[in-house]
Amino acid sequence: MKLPLSWLKEYVDYNVSNERFVELMMWRGFETASVEPALPVTNVVVGKITALTRHPNADKLQVCTLDIGEAEPVTIVTGAANVFEGALVPVALNDAVLVGGVEIHTTTMRGVRSEGMLCSGKELGITGEDYPGAGVNGILILQGAPKPGQPIQQALGMEDVVFEIELTPNRADCQSIVGICREAAAALGQAFCEPPIKAIAGEGSASQYASVEVLAPELCPRYAARVVKNIRIQPSPAWMQKKLKAVGLRPINNIVDITNYVMVEYGHPMHAFDLACVQDGHIIVRTAFPGEKVTTLDSKVHDTTPDMLLIADPQKGVGIAGVMGGENSEITGHTQTVLFEAAVFKSSSIRRTTRELRHVTDAAARFIKGVEPVNALLAVNRAIELVAELNAGDVVGDVIDVCSVNTAERVVYADVAHVNRILSTAIPAAQMAKMLAGINIHAKAQGETLQITVPHYRVDIESSIETDWDIAEEIGRLYGYDNIAPTLMRGDTFRGQVSEACREEDAVKDLCVALGYYEMYNYNFTGPAVLQALRLPEGDEKRLAVKLLNPFGEDQSLMRTTLIPGMLDTLARNCNRKTGQRRFFEVGNVHFDNNADLPEERRMLGLIVSGAGEDFFTLKGSIEALLAGLGLSGRYAVQPGGGAYFQPGQKAHILVDGEVVGELGAIHPAVQKDFDVPQKAYAAELCLPKLMAHKAEAITYKPLPRYPVVPRDIAVVVDEAVTSYEVTQVICQAPVKVLLEDAALFDVYRGKGIPEGKKSMAYSFTLRAEDKTLNDEDISAAMEAILRSLHARLGAELRG
Amino acid sequence: MTEAIANIRAEALLRLQAAQDEATLDEINVSVLGRSGALTEILRAMGKLDKEQRAALGQQANAVKKELEAELAARRAALTEKTQELRFAQEALDVTEPGKVTQPLGRLHPMTQTYREIRDALIGMGFTTFEGPEVEYDDYNFTKLNLPQDHPARDMQDTFYVNERVVLRTHTSPCEARALLTVKPPFRLVMPGRVFRVDEVDASHSPVFMQMEGFIVDRDLTLADLKGILLTFIHAVFGEDVKMRFRPSYFPFTEPSAEVDVSCTICGGKGCRACKGTGWLEILGCGVSNPHILENCGIDPKEWKAIAFGVGVDRITSLKYGITDIRLEYENDARFLSQF
Repeated sequence: MKLPLSWLKEYVDYNVSNERFVELMMWRGFETASVEPALPVTNVVVGKITALTRHPNADKLQVCTLDIGEAEPVTIVTGAANVFEGALVPVALNDAVLVGGVEIHTTTMRGVRSEGMLCSGKELGITGEDYPGAGVNGILILQGAPKPGQPIQQALGMEDVVFEIELTPNRADCQSIVGICREAAAALGQAFCEPPIKAIAGEGSASQYASVEVLAPELCPRYAARVVKNIRIQPSPAWMQKKLKAVGLRPINNIVDITNYVMVEYGHPMHAFDLACVQDGHIIVRTAFPGEKVTTLDSKVHDTTPDMLLIADPQKGVGIAGVMGGENSEITGHTQTVLFEAAVFKSSSIRRTTRELRHVTDAAARFIKGVEPVNALLAVNRAIELVAELNAGDVVGDVIDVCSVNTAERVVYADVAHVNRILSTAIPAAQMAKMLAGINIHAKAQGETLQITVPHYRVDIESSIETDWDIAEEIGRLYGYDNIAPTLMRGDTFRGQVSEACREEDAVKDLCVALGYYEMYNYNFTGPAVLQALRLPEGDEKRLAVKLLNPFGEDQSLMRTTLIPGMLDTLARNCNRKTGQRRFFEVGNVHFDNNADLPEERRMLGLIVSGAGEDFFTLKGSIEALLAGLGLSGRYAVQPGGGAYFQPGQKAHILVDGEVVGELGAIHPAVQKDFDVPQKAYAAELCLPKLMAHKAEAITYKPLPRYPVVPRDIAVVVDEAVTSYEVTQVICQAPVKVLLEDAALFDVYRGKGIPEGKKSMAYSFTLRAEDKTLNDEDISAAMEAILRSLHARLGAELRG
Repeated sequence: MTEAIANIRAEALLRLQAAQDEATLDEINVSVLGRSGALTEILRAMGKLDKEQRAALGQQANAVKKELEAELAARRAALTEKTQELRFAQEALDVTEPGKVTQPLGRLHPMTQTYREIRDALIGMGFTTFEGPEVEYDDYNFTKLNLPQDHPARDMQDTFYVNERVVLRTHTSPCEARALLTVKPPFRLVMPGRVFRVDEVDASHSPVFMQMEGFIVDRDLTLADLKGILLTFIHAVFGEDVKMRFRPSYFPFTEPSAEVDVSCTICGGKGCRACKGTGWLEILGCGVSNPHILENCGIDPKEWKAIAFGVGVDRITSLKYGITDIRLEYENDARFLSQF
């Protein structure tokens, strides 16, 4: 919402600085986005040329001596030819800033000191429309008799500033000069007098020229219109043009300008129809026929849908209600008779229409924010007042007013004690009434109840359970939020806590960090091409991605079903940028469309490693450490298996207590290539809720061994197909009479001394007994039993 | 005889002084004090002397023996020390060489760090975490929160739709509806999570970001309580010196509503580019919950009051660390992550 200071001054006694005004408005709930001067230049003043001489060293330059209202004149070198002695010109002095941030400084030009620059209109950012002569090629020669030294803004009559005020959606009434000035006056502590609208009776009756029929009253609760004949199209007066320009509107002609002016002043969008183009002068407000096309003022042809509201005559659509008028009823130089329309169209209908047409006009935006019926009548009468004032035509009598809503004043009741309880204040009812009077809301204190007459424009104040809160909001901002002292909550104490899931997620993240992983946040979006690149087979669960109706593009049209693509992207980025980091993790959600109301959401942990020293087993080692850190030591296992994006033979499922909770593997070389990852990468993905379902066992202390342990190693030769897991199992299950603990593979050897197709596997473990120190006999018996088992079950031979 | 002892002593002392290693010391020990050493020889020969002579000589010889033994021990100690010093010199390290790390530490994303900081500040005030789904019913995301179909304020939040009834949540507020429907009041909840808006990516916008909502339901809650909680929270996250500005605003979910600014964390309130010269940075929106929300979820707004506030974790992170481009937070460049 643009509020020019000059316009505000017509309503209030502006006795504060702009900064203070912005602050006062802020405390009333109105934020100012910017304060823009109409002429954004600094240190430019009026100068009078008192002497003009040839530059001694340059034919095309002249040296001007200028009176700038100071004791000493200034000298400035100029190349312009249109200056003359006695001319009044804009002078940019040392350190002046011109349009576009151009800075001017004192310099020496070919041996003559020049203390600034004479300005053209262009350098001040103005044209002939803003000031006569500003469009010429040369220095701007000022009109009249501005005083030397006067700021140029004053001399040009462009001292205005424009406040860009951000309106919250509840205050549609303030998207008008009258509305925002009402609040501004209150913020400045001044009474605001609603500007009266002079009634123009006119001659004859509008019904002789036009009639209005509303076929969809629920979408158009009010349609008010007046007729003006003998239209005299001409430019609108300078004062109106200046105000329209100040709020960023382009003046067109008196009739169109009046509609725009009223829209800005009263916030009510208006439209002017050339009645000659409306068959029989009969306006019909109806929904569109199937397949109907309408051409709007901007020459665009719109396909309509049957839920769109049109303004039509008996034959054709002449405008899309609330969005834009039709080209076929546009005001032209030949227009004779005009119908001024101020209607109320339902916000939701206009919102849908603009969405479907992908076209939001200024008018539509206002309808969407909400307009109200009383204002419609004010607006149309204000337009007629302006027609008379501008002598733009002859006003015809009577208002055409089709209204299906009650426009009577609403009265609501607020519970004063409750309002005080919401705000933590103790404001007496009478004082509340007085505060409300400051924003022109009439309220009467009746004991502990406020009887409030709601002004027609305050549609945000409801008569519902919300009333007390609505009034608390008003009283709060009028009383000043800053005057409400902060308190800490009283009452019951609460045991604050992090949920178990959050706590476990913290633990997982901390473990990943301890293991050297950097945390990533990747977007949740993915695309069909990515799922394709992952080589997912038909029917794979990860193909069941949730699809967005309105994505940014095909490549972001799905919700991710796996963290792997995001991790590969991050890895590729880090490889390209040579950041040197080799380990990354992410905790994030994936979604599956399982045909239920809401998709299935799973929180996943993703890990990725790559680069020097990293391989399948370093990643597996991280996962083992992670599981151990979560208290799941000895309860996990891996089994060959996993997604198609992994390289066959280097992928595995991760199991906890026999249940698959995730997978890990080497990224398939083809996938790696598709994601532009320049080196071998290994990734894992674990489902956190599945993992967390396996709780760590409660810790119970075990007594330390009383007798020494005996460490032993053995190396056995087995077939290539025998897995480490099998060997470990056989060792641990061997029928020994002592305690066998901590069996672990420490070396695998193939090559010299080992037959083809075989490998040597070396294991270490410890032996001990609960009740004695083991002797040689016990130890060799145990070792023999282990070897016998290995031989019997796996065909293993002791390596010679 | 006495002269001989004096000679032995003088010679031995000279040799001891000259000795540079343990072996020489051992040799002196053997040749003077050893079983057939010079001094031992003299003592042995004393048997031939008369009693008086023997006593005098014996005393003298023993004194010399003691002296030489002591000197020998002193020399030995000095030599050991010297050898050790030599060894230390050889083994001296360049202590400024880097330490050896078998596995360098990883990093928590700055957003996670900020999230935990905010969360922990609230946990300390008796809040409990509560989570809801990212893909959410339109009903919970909007309608129950006083934003019925076609409400103009829906345009404040551009929404990704999955279908007519399901959206990517545009804020963490649908958790309010879920909490009101499932948790028995009174309660204090902190509701973190990712949210989604149709915003093209640029330096200050991201279609995905992280929000945290505080939601309290109790019998008597006021705007002043909200102010108090937020002041405590801001001091916990930004430090005690930071000032708070609590000013009127509008949200469909709350009434009265407020926006909260903190004095600029970059310039301290003097005005700079980060705060656009105002000295203040907007950090959150909040208010007393709109009674329609409670009513929509079956809670009597006359009996229970609710207050709510929502912060952008990305935004707080940016402000805390002076990050000027939000895209960095989703690029996962290790050179960025390693700074936190």
